[in-house]
Amino acid sequence: MSLAEEYTEASEDSRLERGLAYVQRNSRAYLLIAPAALFLLAVVGYPIIETFRLSLYRSPADSTIETFVGLQHYVEIFDSDIFYRLLWQTGRWVLAGVAGKTVLGLLIAVHLKGDIRGRKFFRTAFLIPWGIPYAISAVVFRWIEHPQFGYLNAILLKLGVIEQGIGILGNPSIAWLGVVVADIWIGTPFMAIIFLAGLQSIPQELYEAAAIDGAEKWHQFRYITLPQLKSVILIATLLSTIWTFVSFDVIWTMTGGGPISSTATLVIHIYQVGLQNGNLGRGAAYSVIGFLFLLVFAIIYLRIYTRGGDEL
Amino acid sequence: MTMAGHDRSGLRKVRLYGVLLALLGLMMLPFYTMFSSTFKPESEIFSAPATLFPSDPSFQAYVEVWSQTDVLLWIGNSFIISLGTVVLTLLLAIPAAYSCARNDFVGKRTFLLSVLVVQMFAPVVLIVGLFDVITQFGLFNTYLAVIIPAAAFTLPFNVWMLYGYFKTIPVALEESARIDGASQLQILTKIVLPLTKPALVASITYTFLYAWNRLLFVLTFLTDSAKYNIPRGVFSMVGALQTDWRMMLTVSVIGIIPLLILFAFLEEYIVAGMTAGAVKE
Repeated sequence: MSLAEEYTEASEDSRLERGLAYVQRNSRAYLLIAPAALFLLAVVGYPIIETFRLSLYRSPADSTIETFVGLQHYVEIFDSDIFYRLLWQTGRWVLAGVAGKTVLGLLIAVHLKGDIRGRKFFRTAFLIPWGIPYAISAVVFRWIEHPQFGYLNAILLKLGVIEQGIGILGNPSIAWLGVVVADIWIGTPFMAIIFLAGLQSIPQELYEAAAIDGAEKWHQFRYITLPQLKSVILIATLLSTIWTFVSFDVIWTMTGGGPISSTATLVIHIYQVGLQNGNLGRGAAYSVIGFLFLLVFAIIYLRIYTRGGDEL
Repeated sequence: MTMAGHDRSGLRKVRLYGVLLALLGLMMLPFYTMFSSTFKPESEIFSAPATLFPSDPSFQAYVEVWSQTDVLLWIGNSFIISLGTVVLTLLLAIPAAYSCARNDFVGKRTFLLSVLVVQMFAPVVLIVGLFDVITQFGLFNTYLAVIIPAAAFTLPFNVWMLYGYFKTIPVALEESARIDGASQLQILTKIVLPLTKPALVASITYTFLYAWNRLLFVLTFLTDSAKYNIPRGVFSMVGALQTDWRMMLTVSVIGIIPLLILFAFLEEYIVAGMTAGAVKE
């Protein structure tokens, strides 16, 4: 054995020893995080691996036999028109949803910022749509949009906008709008609360200085509020994008993805294919594609979150 | 201040409250349709076009709902699922968060960041894999089939919330208790946790709401209707051809009343929890 080999062996030995000694010294720290870490590995980590594995197999609903098919599911998905239609439907769903939530949320926050009497009441009231079961909000919106007995039609008829009741959720070209309205209603409170907190951290002196300079309200909003709020808006819209992308309960309860799949998004399709039709392999392949989208969002989020040094 | 200036600020106030009330009205409209419909008799609810105000308000629906639906069972199940999730999540989150706040060790950063990623990993893209795992472990159609995934997806929020709060509690407090002979567990339960109350309340409320509100896990892992919770119960009342809207909306109202009480008392904690991840001080 050469001297060099002896040396590396010795250092590897001592590295292992040092490692063990380190774990032993910090054993209590590791023991305390172990249950949480193991739990997440079992309930989140393992299903992720299982999803990847399943996506390489064909597993018909009517049998328990799995056949290895490699990347065939992915090839078929990228070859199908359904996939591109889903991308388009998911895209417009997310864009419209996030835009609506952001604008409405900002509007509410800006008006709640000042010295408002009963702010606690307003804040609580605005919070409620966010905190109740999505399925309940969904059935309420179904009821509002009911083609015969709904309030929306009643109001529109009364105002003379329409002459006959319209069935929004039954019409493939506008059904998604009827659903996205409900999703905006549910998601707006979160944005409003986040923006309000962000607004309250803007130094008041900035506005006072601007007022002395004679800046108008709109200019104050444009040149003080928006720039100061930039990072909060960035994080809030990113989180909202993720949540809108994976929104399931609302769509599932309002339309189940229909009519003729016009309200289906990627995650709705995952559920239909993987669990409703029992095609686990194909559903898993769609899930992996969903992972990739989320991964991109997650990387951006972590970048923003850990930006500016060590915060942990 | 001149008269003109006074007028203008008064006008601004009127406009401000006007816009606020209009926004509030817009956001409350769905609740109005829900509540007002439950006070209509059967014949009125199914009349087109809808009447905007109940012509002859009655509480009849709230009398019938107990016998015509399983609302009591669903509420009970909702409590079982929500409280179970809260307990499981806290049992896992408190030690982990405490360990991270008090020690520096290799892997801590990795642990905290991967926990953050889990929060982003929406359950619905994992549902196919989860379904496989839940059935493998024989948990299908048990409360645990819902509680376990719900705990996994609320754990990240809890760990981060408590971790941030534990860090603000001075170590000196614990050291003096240790000198007085208190055990590690005593220190945690008698000294640290009471001081963590705001973060604990925020964590518990968030977890409770999460488990109460979600349909996905119950829809997928519980087919036994005796274990349905409120969202699943409401969902089951949506008929393919016919829906008893009056009963369904009444169940909905009853299903959100516990939450309204929660909001009224704990609004500040909920807001603190919501802003924790997005607004850095």
